[in-house]
Amino acid sequence: MSNNKDWDIAIKRGVEHNIPRVFKVLREHPYLEDLARKVREGKLEVLSNLDHYIDMTIKAVEKIGGKAYFAENAEQAREIVGKIVGSKKRIVLGKSMVAYEVGLRKYLQSLDNEVWETDLGELLIQFADEPPSHIIAPAVHMTRERIRELIKEKLNIDPGDKHEDIVKVAREFLRQKFLTADIGITGANAVAADSGSIVLVENEGNIRMTSVVPPVHISITGVEKILPNLEYALYEALVQAAYAGLYPPTYINVTSGPSSTGDVEQKRVSPAHGPKEFHLVLVDNGRRKANEDNVLREALLCIRCGRCHFHCPVYRVLDGKWGDPPYSGPMGAMWSGVVYNDYKPSLMCTHAGNCREVCPMKINIPKVLEYLKHKYYTNGTKQ
Amino acid sequence: MIDNELLNFIKRTVTKFLMEDYMPFPVNRSVCSEWANGMNIKKGLSEVVLFTGCSYQLAELGKKFDDILPSLARFKGIERFSSFAKAFYKPRNERANKILRNIAYLLKNSGVDFSYYEDEPYSGTILLELGMLDEFKQYAEKLVNFFVARGVKKIITVDPHTHYTLYRIKELNPSWNVNIVNYYELIKGAKAEGTYVFHDSCLYSRFLGMRDTIREVIKGSGIELKEDEMVTGKETSMCCGGPLAPINKDVSDKIARNRAEALKNVHNKVLLACPFCYANLSPYVEAYDFAEVVKIE
Ligand code: SF4
Repeated sequence: MSNNKDWDIAIKRGVEHNIPRVFKVLREHPYLEDLARKVREGKLEVLSNLDHYIDMTIKAVEKIGGKAYFAENAEQAREIVGKIVGSKKRIVLGKSMVAYEVGLRKYLQSLDNEVWETDLGELLIQFADEPPSHIIAPAVHMTRERIRELIKEKLNIDPGDKHEDIVKVAREFLRQKFLTADIGITGANAVAADSGSIVLVENEGNIRMTSVVPPVHISITGVEKILPNLEYALYEALVQAAYAGLYPPTYINVTSGPSSTGDVEQKRVSPAHGPKEFHLVLVDNGRRKANEDNVLREALLCIRCGRCHFHCPVYRVLDGKWGDPPYSGPMGAMWSGVVYNDYKPSLMCTHAGNCREVCPMKINIPKVLEYLKHKYYTNGTKQ
Repeated sequence: MIDNELLNFIKRTVTKFLMEDYMPFPVNRSVCSEWANGMNIKKGLSEVVLFTGCSYQLAELGKKFDDILPSLARFKGIERFSSFAKAFYKPRNERANKILRNIAYLLKNSGVDFSYYEDEPYSGTILLELGMLDEFKQYAEKLVNFFVARGVKKIITVDPHTHYTLYRIKELNPSWNVNIVNYYELIKGAKAEGTYVFHDSCLYSRFLGMRDTIREVIKGSGIELKEDEMVTGKETSMCCGGPLAPINKDVSDKIARNRAEALKNVHNKVLLACPFCYANLSPYVEAYDFAEVVKIE
């Protein structure tokens, strides 16, 4: 913890904007709670037979002309993507926590590729070479003044002091990258096991461009994002957006394999205007092991809405630095245990229980964290 | 952020004191029951017992302990001095004693028959809160034996931490035949006055399902409560920071300051129902326990 005034101001504003907005969304659209319940059921169904669903997803992706891969750990995930990409390419990235988790951007750069984050917050994180401070608002800790300086330093352009002008400079810079990129990499909010489709939800429009403009689209995501079918996968996107406070979401993208058309005698052929290749990389990296554990399995239900962060008294005072990046806050304290075997962040939980109260997936987060504390005392942890 | 040496020290010393003497640090056990002196309450064996878990009595002392913990942890061999210190260390806490006496009056006035123990043990809550579950299980067994040996069928609790701890102990020992009730569930016709904002205990509100029960007792007493959806809602009312104090004092204090600020924006007088919330919040805001503002004839 520091006496970081920027953080205190930023988080206070974030809380004041986000919390009433989510309450309002849920009051105005009561069906969302129902959908959240269904998503939990769908995810539990997959987790209770995970290997079967991984298999089913891989087959479904191949059936629609895509390629699917299973990566056991971060190293394998990097290698798989590295082989598809090669070197000397220009790559645009849609914000993906799994890409961050496996260290993808830096790895691809080390293979002599030019890589650009396209989510504005994530681009700022890239410019500053800092870890993200919130799962949906990675640069929440930066003030406008700081961002202006960063852009001046990295792009040699002074955007001025206005929010709009800062966004405009970034937009112009990124637009040129989108149009000339060889490869677009995104994550996935949900993967439909029956159709092999991935579902992505966003507001900026960068994910649409990343997944459609370059000739190759790679999606990298965790195996826990699989849902039994496309119906449930779409529900997941709606629920994620609602509990993140941005409802209705500006865009929901469904991608099922490479671009295609059926306009010539109704024969479906590929490619059309969008990418000619689609690759899905399903990453394990500790998830299947966590799934074997009755308590830790709950963590895999997280849909990354970031709601628990804003309701957590500890996250609010900890400067965005609670948990191993990109996983922060209450969910991050759980996920640090899942993917990095780091149980130490759990010790900072005060069991206030607000997170459990607001989690759309009804994850008993304090219980999981208590369990991880116990693991810390019995197994030790990385320091 | 977390000091391993400190954690190990807490684990070692707290467990040692608990296992040897039912107290988490070197304090004379009589501090737990001195509230009952002169009150004419039954002592010893009985089916219904008022169990304070020593929370009110130790909360302030615990806070001081949290302050000196880091230096204690670095003072090798401190454990050896424990039994010596204990013989002398008898802190008096008039506020805690008054609160507990008031609770006993309220129960008596509501027609509840109960006894208390002069050798009352501490609840073990610190082990549970820090997640030291193996040690907690060990101590839990000791506590269950303590109660079983005295033929207890019903335990009345007075604070959320003891209540929740007993609830977890029962979960670990399903064959333990005991009914755990809180005094808020038993008292009738409590009278008080004034306007306050209520700071919910996380455990009462979100873990024990007692949010409404407590509010009803308070409002039924004549007190007016100011509410604000962003500050006193079930999902928005924040922790006082107490449970983090032993492992990170700075974070704990900052949580307390934030909470106090938010409460002050709703009303300047804060009502609460937990000795640890009081210990953490009272340096920053005018705070009162419900049991100290209640009228006793
Ligand atoms: S743990 Fe729950 S509230 Fe937190 S990010 Fe995940 S789904 Fe959202």
